[in-house]
Amino acid sequence: MPSNILHFFDNFWLAIGATIAIVMAYLSVNAIMLIWLERKLAARIQRRIGPTRGPFGLVQQIFDMVKLFSKELITPDHVNRVLYLIAPVMIFAPVMALCTLFPISATWVFHDYSVAVVLLLAISGVNILAIFFAGWGSNNKYALLGAVRAVAQNISYEIPLILSIIPIVMMANSLSLYGIADAQTGVPYVLLQPIAAIIFIISATAETNRAPFDIPEAESELVAGFHTEYSGMRFGMFFFAEYSNMIIVCGLATVLFLGGWKGPYLPGPVWFFIKVYALIILMMWFRWTFPRLRFDQLMKFAWMVLVPLALINLLITTFVLKLI
Amino acid sequence: MAFVKDILDGTKTLLTGMKVTLNNFRKPSITSKYPIEKIEMSEAFRNVIVLIEKDDIQSHDCIGCKACERVCPSFCIDVDGERPEGMRRMRATEFKVDFALCSDCGLCLDVCPTDTLGYSKIHDETGYNRSDFVYDLLDPWRDAEGPTVERLRKLEEEQAAAKKARTVKKAAAKKAAAKKAETETSKETTEETPTNKNDAENNDA
Amino acid sequence: MASRFDVVQDAESRDTYYLNMGPQHPSTHGVLRLKLHLDGETILSVDPVIGYGHRAHEKMAENRDYLQFLPNPSRVDYISGMIYNIGYCQAIERAMGIEVPERAEYIRVIANELNRISSHLLWLGTFLLDLGAFTPFLYAFDDREKILDILDRVTGSRLTYCYGRFGGVTLDVDDLFLQQTAEFCTHFKTRFALYEELVIDNVIFQERTVGVGVFEPDLIQKYGVSGPCLRAMGQANDVRKDEPYGIYDRFDFDIPTQMAGDCFVRSLVRMDEMRQSVRIVEQAVKDIPDGPFIAPKVPKRIRPAEGEYHFCVESARGNFGIYIVSDGSDIPFRLKMRTPSFANMATMPDVMKGTLLSDAVAILGSIDIVVPEIDR
Repeated sequence: MPSNILHFFDNFWLAIGATIAIVMAYLSVNAIMLIWLERKLAARIQRRIGPTRGPFGLVQQIFDMVKLFSKELITPDHVNRVLYLIAPVMIFAPVMALCTLFPISATWVFHDYSVAVVLLLAISGVNILAIFFAGWGSNNKYALLGAVRAVAQNISYEIPLILSIIPIVMMANSLSLYGIADAQTGVPYVLLQPIAAIIFIISATAETNRAPFDIPEAESELVAGFHTEYSGMRFGMFFFAEYSNMIIVCGLATVLFLGGWKGPYLPGPVWFFIKVYALIILMMWFRWTFPRLRFDQLMKFAWMVLVPLALINLLITTFVLKLI
Repeated sequence: MAFVKDILDGTKTLLTGMKVTLNNFRKPSITSKYPIEKIEMSEAFRNVIVLIEKDDIQSHDCIGCKACERVCPSFCIDVDGERPEGMRRMRATEFKVDFALCSDCGLCLDVCPTDTLGYSKIHDETGYNRSDFVYDLLDPWRDAEGPTVERLRKLEEEQAAAKKARTVKKAAAKKAAAKKAETETSKETTEETPTNKNDAENNDA
Repeated sequence: MASRFDVVQDAESRDTYYLNMGPQHPSTHGVLRLKLHLDGETILSVDPVIGYGHRAHEKMAENRDYLQFLPNPSRVDYISGMIYNIGYCQAIERAMGIEVPERAEYIRVIANELNRISSHLLWLGTFLLDLGAFTPFLYAFDDREKILDILDRVTGSRLTYCYGRFGGVTLDVDDLFLQQTAEFCTHFKTRFALYEELVIDNVIFQERTVGVGVFEPDLIQKYGVSGPCLRAMGQANDVRKDEPYGIYDRFDFDIPTQMAGDCFVRSLVRMDEMRQSVRIVEQAVKDIPDGPFIAPKVPKRIRPAEGEYHFCVESARGNFGIYIVSDGSDIPFRLKMRTPSFANMATMPDVMKGTLLSDAVAILGSIDIVVPEIDR
């Protein structure tokens, strides 16, 4: 059994505080580094240089942060103030909660929930609510359109996402992330369940609203989608949430399909993060290669391709598991 | 089955696309770090006009004829000239270009009778207001204007002397020719043209 | 063909709304404003509002002489400015009966076709940007920069060229220019594979464009569609072939046509046009003769005899016509420019009706408009 972080501290509240501090520190650094990574990666793909301030352009991100913090927070007229102000906070909250779920090594886990998969999917649903609040509260047609698209897209893609997780859960016979990762002895599930893995990564890309599924914030159609009316750090929160969400879905994919922390020679956490960031780079690679799908094609793809495929995959898995 | 084939074909095209981006990822970047490394402007690069130094007079040769001012479609050139004491040719006293209005069409270069206009190679000038882009093209020449005028005057005197000598010589030759020839009219015209041409050349030089 | 959605007949009974796309919008290519009447995401009607980039070029022509108007045409359509600039020169030459030297004609053809390629490359980039792919934009710009560098060496400008003069061009091209042009052609021919693999063959690109924004045949008569949009409707119409100006009749090239009239074939037509332009440039580079680059005797005063003159050239966007009414003076009495983007954009209400908001962006990108050229 992995150790619980609560065991390190005598005081319950101290443990909670330490968790929050670690998670927040990690997520901020992670988001900054991911933005840097994305910019460098895009630059290399497009044969540019990318940010150049400081060593490897790393200092650029700090300047950008300072800029975001120092910008005026504009609240447009006639917004629904409650929804408008709560949305940027709300979009970041589930990410923080979910970060604590991942087992980054055989012994390092904040808390091992026995139903972590269900919890993760449930909490990540709050994300959609935050996007809709932002779009609805902004009093802007572009934002509203983006929000409507986001809700439809996220709800549609949650189904293939869950359908691709179920075979894994069945194979691992566990709903705990630690249990699923632990069950992958020898062969990771990506080799046993390639279709589920592909469906998962596609749905995950859609869930995080990243290209080619970035229609809620399609800049050539909807200006900036649901966060059109946000400025300064409020916009920064949406921006950070996007990258933090990538960590969540890629972490989930790592645990479900790539065996979590497992790997030869290197210690567990290193393997875990190598796998997570490799998946993130894959998602970034998608973004800088493909055009954006249209709204109805996106829906069609989810319901006509991914859901049937996932269902067939589920059926086959069930039969095979029964036979074994 | 067509459905499955569609999906497979589509996936293949997507993978091809990813292969293309990966190939480009491996190649070196093609951009230049602009402010750090300056780009050499091409020979014909057009920017604000400047007065070019003419070798024979070691100065610009703007005679303030206002041809550029008249032809300029953007009305951005302001030229004035005067005749220095005791000289035949004019010298420009004012040459201002409002580069904020200029459209780099190059018509002024085309019409310049002394070919003393050219383009500068500056490409990154900035300013805080429009008046920062009013260039005084005579600025680099102002200090040397006095000696230049002196030199020009001397040059002109020499040329005038040379011309006088030439015309005397020519007149003598003409007299000699007139004596010989029976018909004058045709010859007179043919000889008058080169004289005129010489004049024009002297003016230009 | 399933991209058209049924437009709700009783629009009043439903909750519809208006969406202002532009004048400040990432994909209106400048300052075009589309007033979209939407039902959800389905477009019920489109009302293009133009004039935000109006600079009164035609009125300016009435206030200056023919020579002074020379910088203006390339500002009308700054993406293919060379074609407009040289087209204007050719119009005046036709009106005045000025003979252009052989070499100048060849230089003009090379410059025109290079400019056409650079314009189509810019279109490719921005169209893909509209569809959400950012990377092809920079690949296209990589090639475009090469063209701009080549042209920059002789014309001195990179975008708003003022290279043509009545009776020729401003500067002669040197051997290096011809060599660079030939090298570019060889290089560019290898780049088509990249664009096809990354863009044209891509399943998402095809999903977004095939059957989207179909031009019905009646639009040709109704609005005077021209250029690649017309050729994508199966009409082999090209001024370079139909009424060859300059020396275009000497070159061996085809007019690419496609039947479907949708965004996808418009892309194919433009890709093929780039291939044909490369063909023309290669022939011109091979055959260019020595000689003067500007006519030795150009009348000092450009004064076309009293009357009306019309001249049209094939710009990168379509048929660009110049109509001059001269009263025999130095200054045109009236100079009207028939710009292709204006006519092509006028079809938008018909074409966009019943499509989705995302399609509107794709259609607008695929017809390759230059908004200041519409407004003039």
